[in-house]
Amino acid sequence: MATNTSQSRTARYGEEFKSFLSETWLGYALILPAVILLAAIIFYPTLRGVQMAFLEVSLLQPGQEELVGLENFAEMVNDAVFRTALWQTVLLTALAVSIQYLLGMALALVLKEKLPGMRIFRSLSMVSWVLPIIVMVILFRFMVQNGFGPANIVLDALGLETTYWFGDPEMAFPLIVLMHVWRNVPFYAIALMAAMNSIPETQYEAARLDGAGALQRFRHVTLPQISYVSMIMIVLHVIFTFNNFEIVYLSTGGGPLGNTEVLATYVYKTAFETYALGYAASMGVVMLVLMLVFTTVYVKLEDMD
Amino acid sequence: MATETDAVDGRTESANTVSRFDRWLDEETSPRRALAVYAVLGVFMLFLLLPVVYMVLATFTNRSFLYSSALIPSLSDLTLANYVNVLSTGAFQRYFVNSTIIASATTVLTLTVGTLAGYSLSRFEYPGRDSLLLAFLGTQMLPYVLILIPFFLLMFTLGLINSHLGIIIAHSVIATPLAIWLLKGYFDDIPESLDEAAKMDGCSQLDILVRVVLPLSLPGLAVAGFYTFTISWNDFLLVSVLSQTGATRTLPFGLQLFQSQNQVAWHLVLTAATITMIPVIVLFAAVQQWVVKGLASGGMKGA
Repeated sequence: MATNTSQSRTARYGEEFKSFLSETWLGYALILPAVILLAAIIFYPTLRGVQMAFLEVSLLQPGQEELVGLENFAEMVNDAVFRTALWQTVLLTALAVSIQYLLGMALALVLKEKLPGMRIFRSLSMVSWVLPIIVMVILFRFMVQNGFGPANIVLDALGLETTYWFGDPEMAFPLIVLMHVWRNVPFYAIALMAAMNSIPETQYEAARLDGAGALQRFRHVTLPQISYVSMIMIVLHVIFTFNNFEIVYLSTGGGPLGNTEVLATYVYKTAFETYALGYAASMGVVMLVLMLVFTTVYVKLEDMD
Repeated sequence: MATETDAVDGRTESANTVSRFDRWLDEETSPRRALAVYAVLGVFMLFLLLPVVYMVLATFTNRSFLYSSALIPSLSDLTLANYVNVLSTGAFQRYFVNSTIIASATTVLTLTVGTLAGYSLSRFEYPGRDSLLLAFLGTQMLPYVLILIPFFLLMFTLGLINSHLGIIIAHSVIATPLAIWLLKGYFDDIPESLDEAAKMDGCSQLDILVRVVLPLSLPGLAVAGFYTFTISWNDFLLVSVLSQTGATRTLPFGLQLFQSQNQVAWHLVLTAATITMIPVIVLFAAVQQWVVKGLASGGMKGA
């Protein structure tokens, strides 16, 4: 009798252990395809890219590599184009993300109003976020064509100066910022609106009873409760803007006079136009490290709040 | 008789709308506030939509209007010639077919891989699960231009340059982390009691995925599918590196067919751009309610 019980207990444990094993293995098996794909196509190239940063390699003879230690990184210090591109990338990211956030917040505040037609407006506002970057760039380039671009036609009618603004050394950079803003404001707006809508109305009532005005209610009720979504949106867009290649490359190619050159375009040109893979990779590593530091610090700061 | 009833119905309906509108204003907002909201909204819509609307309008006008300094076309300026011209260009047709094949295959591959991985992360406990999730999300931080160099060499070694397969794999990998994240969010929302009930009925884990979890996650699949399709359809950078010839190029390159070094046929370029954006806009219209909702819940929670 006793042996029988202990036997059945062992059997039960055995069964549980087996089912635990099979569950675990099934879990691993299901995630395996994703892991293999990402390991081969993202993690391997990233590690190889980091390794390349310490080598001298040419795209023309990828087989011939020479270990040069930190030489590539030392080269950056004396590279005026790199310094300009770094500064312009930081400036572009800071300007674009802060303007996006402010405008996105403003749009979120109107979109969350419960008025007729709002659902249509919410969807319509997303159009600029959905269309391909190349289409956006073509659209902006068309609008600022000299003579027949609609923006210049309006400027001309107002008696203002007209030119192909992407070719203007002073205006090209602001136009790049404008494109980043135009594209991403709707995404901020919808995300922030959703966060605002999830705040219970009773909290506003309570604040009102305490005599808080509209601005105070926004400051003390709304802002703290959208801070998590705000953080996600800001981190995402800092990364997106900092790493973005297509918007600059397709609109100005970094010109005129290098005034819109950013790190992404400079790395691309260094690799695929001057074939200096090692140097390009080392600049890519600098980009990666900067983003890692930014994300870590930002998330830590947010956690402390 | 019938018309009279219709008219009456129509009147009550519009009266209903008006009274509903009144009630809205009474409850939530004053008319002055509503007016202010619509005014601000109007400015935003002009800023966000006017350029796109104007571009679409311009594609239906003739060349001489487009290159003139007039803003509003007259009726005699309207034409479909640009569309006929662009759509009958052989290379453009090929790019359209390429885009369709690549984006569809990418979507199927990504949703398959993403569903399995998302299900694994949502329903199984095993060592390393959280680090895997973090690693997937971490990929979003990597600068593409850094990955691109070894990636190009890798694809070259594998013989995947100038092939549809190479581009499909590349796009899938870019889209997979986001798809996993989204799908995991949707799977997490399905109560595990349903799994238990299915298990009682003798379903295996995979049966549960196919018969219980997936049917309840259709909005999630739609949103993840939309994101993936759009990432693939809109991509320029990866295709530019992986396609050295026209045989595997996609629509974002179709716009280049109508411009040369120093001359741009704007009427055709804008038309090609409009045709390029139509599929993603239509897809977005189909899934927008879930995208907007997903941004609120599925995409934003977690962590």
